[in-house]
Amino acid sequence: MIPAEGAVLVTGATTPLGQALVQALLAAGREVLAIGREEAGLEAHPRLRYLPVDLTHPRAVRRRLHGALRAGLVHTIVHGAVHRSPRSQGERAHQLNVGATRLLLRLAHESAGVHRFVFLSHGAVYRVDARVPDIIAEDNPVMLDGGPQWVRDRVEADVAVQAALGTIDAQVVVLRLAEVFGAELGSQLHDYVSDRVCIRPMGYDPMINLLSVPDAVAATVAAVQRPVEGIFNVPGYDSLPLTRLIRLGRCRDLPMPGPLLGPLYAARRRLLGRDFDYRLNRWRFHFNGVLDGRRARRELGYEPGNPLLWR
Amino acid sequence: MGLRPTTAGLARWVTPRDLRQRARSVHLDDAGHGHDRFGMSRDGVALGLGLSAPLYDRWFRVTRSGVEHIPAEGGVILAANHSGTLPFDGLMIWHDVTRHAEPPRAVRVVLDHFVNLLPWVNTFFTRGGAFGGSRGNMHTLLEAGERVLVFPEGVAGIGKPFHRRYRLQRWTEGHAEMAIRHQVPVVPVAVIGAEEQMPQLARLPVPAFGSPYLPVPAVPVPLPVRYHIHYGAPVPVAGRYSPDEADNPDAVEFLALEVRDRVQALIDRGLAERQGVFA
Repeated sequence: MIPAEGAVLVTGATTPLGQALVQALLAAGREVLAIGREEAGLEAHPRLRYLPVDLTHPRAVRRRLHGALRAGLVHTIVHGAVHRSPRSQGERAHQLNVGATRLLLRLAHESAGVHRFVFLSHGAVYRVDARVPDIIAEDNPVMLDGGPQWVRDRVEADVAVQAALGTIDAQVVVLRLAEVFGAELGSQLHDYVSDRVCIRPMGYDPMINLLSVPDAVAATVAAVQRPVEGIFNVPGYDSLPLTRLIRLGRCRDLPMPGPLLGPLYAARRRLLGRDFDYRLNRWRFHFNGVLDGRRARRELGYEPGNPLLWR
Repeated sequence: MGLRPTTAGLARWVTPRDLRQRARSVHLDDAGHGHDRFGMSRDGVALGLGLSAPLYDRWFRVTRSGVEHIPAEGGVILAANHSGTLPFDGLMIWHDVTRHAEPPRAVRVVLDHFVNLLPWVNTFFTRGGAFGGSRGNMHTLLEAGERVLVFPEGVAGIGKPFHRRYRLQRWTEGHAEMAIRHQVPVVPVAVIGAEEQMPQLARLPVPAFGSPYLPVPAVPVPLPVRYHIHYGAPVPVAGRYSPDEADNPDAVEFLALEVRDRVQALIDRGLAERQGVFA
């Protein structure tokens, strides 16, 4: 039986999702040890402690967290810190995306007080093509065949956490979140529809699933509170065709032959410094890819209930 | 942007009012924006009914028997013979079940994977309820209590030579495994007429969009043969097989062969009853 007490260590706590998660955990009566790289934008609370930590420096992380972990004050680690933009590349990005995950797993393993490790993974780790099911279950194949670093890192981190399942003392939960849609959230599709013109492959109109911040938070809090272990898809409330997303984003729909989209969006990314990378979205702009949330419903009690608020 | 045709707009234009009303009443597991998670929408069903109605009513002049055998409640697999070079048999069964079976539900047609690669075609079929044939998709739909149409002959059936018409080809067993796992009955379906609609002269080994070959038909458009669709009594599964037996190859093979025999018997009966290819 897992004790309900003990602090929850939240990485990426200064991001919009991290801040909402911290508030929800505090509201649920938990103590929170929030860590982030930027200055804390978190409201003060008697049960909240903020530690600025750069997760790309393993020694600094050990130094800052050693005391709390050694004293058994941390009961659960929720790790969701990741580079949001595909423009962040190279060794430093890899260190945050993957290295920090491995380090926190090691710390969880070494610290007797840590009972749960919740990892916020991404639905983008799944392979989407004409042969895989439209509704993606947890046992569907993941993208193991390369691609941009943004995807490679997410898959590597996800696999690293999976490998810890059953091999460390703490219970491990991997939440594969559908794309959390919104500004400052690393949402590829938010950046896509924020343009005046949205170019899409001619003749294709696949189903897309999007997650709201309140639903992402609800699933994560459930993963913190419930004594479950394993991999869980976290779909969002909104499943809609790409063309409807474009309409709701008030973007002008411009279908074009698929092979032109790569060069056009690559040019846009380089010239305007935008985050949307067509290479990351090529397959889901052709084929349905909606996460199957049955396991999360059954074991986490999670049901998406917060639709996105469209402009 | 305002001039771009929408599915709903096209459906209003091409689909008669009674079929639009029928489409409005089909069951839809709405995922929030008028579509289910596979992309089916009532507007898509209405458009599909409207576009296929001239083929159904006037070109192939479809008749049916036994549609009442399709259970009103719960999931079911419809297993049919497949033929005709182009898959009008699937479209006609889809139209027939969606239009005539009660309560109104669009039958979910399993598509070969390469259809997903075809621009526009994939969207048109998906909006009407068709889906890529994977085990995961079948699981999801049967669990949701949908009617699923499969062609166990697959590509071998649709491309069969004219001299082998109405003789079932290699019969795959996936439908039997799914039926046992989900404890749903299998309704045998025989389509009479489609096997003569478009005799095939040759197959060119030219893969296009993932299609395994390019058919060379003897006629540029399907002949106006008359379609007769016969639905047989459901092959029961619950009570005869336990879900665990889905992993037993012998049980799966036995059920698949039983379904195959029932489809062949329906075909033989349908051929004996028909007055002529065009009658």
